[in-house]
Amino acid sequence: MKLVAIAGSIADDSYNRKLVTFIASKYADLADIEILSINDVPMFNQDDDQTQSAPIQYLTHKIEAADGVILATPEHNHTVAPALKNVIEWLSFNVHPFTNKPTLIVGASYFTQGSSRAQLALRQILEAPGVGALVMPSDEFLLADVRTAFDDHGNLSDERTVKFLGSVMAKFVRWVSVLASMQEKTHTEPWRQEDLDAGRPVDTTIDVPAGAEDWVEQGAAKTNAASGQDYVKLDRGLLTVDQLNWFLNTFPMEATFMDDNNQFIYYNHFLDHDDMLAPCYPSQVGNAAAMCHPQRAQDHVKQVIWMLRSGQTDRFAMPVPGNKVNAKWIMHYYQAMHDADGNYRGVNEWVLDTWPIVADYLKRTGQTLVQAPGAQADATTGASAHSKPEAPTTPDADTGASEAKAATPLVPPVASTPDASTGASETKAATPLVPPVAPSTPDADTGASES
Amino acid sequence: MKHYIGIAGTNSRHSTNRQLLQFIQRHYAPYATVELVEIDDLPLFYKTKDHSIPAAATALAEKIDAADGVIFATPEYDHAVPAVLSSALAWLSYHISPFAGKPVLITGASYGALGTSRAQAQLRLILESPELDARIMPSAEFMVGHSLQAFDDNGDLKDETLVRQLDGLMKDLQIFVDINTQLVHSLNAEAADWDEGTEE
Repeated sequence: MKLVAIAGSIADDSYNRKLVTFIASKYADLADIEILSINDVPMFNQDDDQTQSAPIQYLTHKIEAADGVILATPEHNHTVAPALKNVIEWLSFNVHPFTNKPTLIVGASYFTQGSSRAQLALRQILEAPGVGALVMPSDEFLLADVRTAFDDHGNLSDERTVKFLGSVMAKFVRWVSVLASMQEKTHTEPWRQEDLDAGRPVDTTIDVPAGAEDWVEQGAAKTNAASGQDYVKLDRGLLTVDQLNWFLNTFPMEATFMDDNNQFIYYNHFLDHDDMLAPCYPSQVGNAAAMCHPQRAQDHVKQVIWMLRSGQTDRFAMPVPGNKVNAKWIMHYYQAMHDADGNYRGVNEWVLDTWPIVADYLKRTGQTLVQAPGAQADATTGASAHSKPEAPTTPDADTGASEAKAATPLVPPVASTPDASTGASETKAATPLVPPVAPSTPDADTGASES
Repeated sequence: MKHYIGIAGTNSRHSTNRQLLQFIQRHYAPYATVELVEIDDLPLFYKTKDHSIPAAATALAEKIDAADGVIFATPEYDHAVPAVLSSALAWLSYHISPFAGKPVLITGASYGALGTSRAQAQLRLILESPELDARIMPSAEFMVGHSLQAFDDNGDLKDETLVRQLDGLMKDLQIFVDINTQLVHSLNAEAADWDEGTEE
């Protein structure tokens, strides 16, 4: 394990430097500890960005490359030494090497406090956004009366102090390892292997660049594709390509085919881009999934595809942001497709406004919607029932693939939208059907015949 | 008329904290003089072997010594006061004590909503340390949030409520300075009595 240590002082003689020097030699068997100098770091000035200067680059690279950081702070006027605060300001300005870096705070002072106030202030500073260090909780190493604490060889003389420092160091090293393995796990979660760039061609992949605007035309020429009056044999029936188009383009929903290489290869093109619920241009067909989704949504896209590909669920459903209860309820459904042998072959995504269907049903059955008091009904269907949209950066490291279904709509909810429409988990606004108090027009029993 | 030193805790050319002090200087000119000083010519603090301090620190200390009080306007970096300010305060308490017993008002301005609340709390702790020993005006805080939008073209604070709050604080500061002077006098007198007593 590689650690770096910084004494928060630029004085010629520093007891805190002495302390980190002792730590580095005494606990060399626990970790390789390199002491970094902050002597040449200029005064922070936001008007004069010196992030690229050698002293700051040196610190940035050393900290980035280390598994953890030990900071030893003196206490000046009840707070962190200005020299140390100054370094942290540079390292939270245009570079952020402390982000998620396991950090241990120690400190020494002349009198009884042993830098206690400075350590508390330093903890607060390190936890500020922009710094983002992971400061080890609970353990404090406060070295008081530092002028008499070291012997002539630079060793701490008090055995109990050395023993305690040893236990703190052992705990820190363990803590660094635990955090490291957690971060490792985060990056090896199975859903991350989904390649949204469609870089893993399958047996149906056509050799035409995915981004080509005339991907369909090029592909059709390459494959000598059937068209117009050509007959296609289907399960189960026989249609011409024209007939197939008439058929697909009159389903009351927008349907999209994304194949098992995460390439978008078809949509039923019966509306112009601007009239679509999930807008799409004809030239986008052939795009890789990454090209059809904003960067911020891509982890979610991967999670959903992985859920379907790995068979955790066959269907994922979610309402879109901006829906209005009892007026418009646009749903996206993602359905896994499989071949005859059960192999995953892509996603059938369909999008429709479900409200007109509900409204029509209510009208025909003479019912009305009532809010269920405190109900936690499921507004969505399928596997997403209890899901909660997660930020793309915080997948659950502990649970891995088996819990991926607890993740995420394809597009993160817009913050300002009302609860009812923000995503798969927002179920409380769902309104279960109940019959009206007086059975008014029991059409439902009798059908459309108006008996 | 009271004379105050205004210290903006920054070395930045454009600072809404300096702007705030300039507003205070102008707005309360009929009642007090506020001299704005800069801290950007002080080097990063380090302990000198001979306890010497930079000439700029000595000059600053003399000004503070001669003033009735000090008004700080601090930015907030990483939930704390900027290093350039804590460094200046370290010099101003390194074997000198211009802040000892000195009335202080703490203010601050920030781009975000919080108006440097955390930095001000920390500055209070720093100024209360034995080496600085300042007399911080109790329960007084003044925070300008969204400071980039807070001033009009003339450099005046737009928010009337904030200006009224500042009016009150500046009046309180004047009284606080007087009370503090009396307190120092009576403490000195008592100390003298006590000294005489022990000599007997």
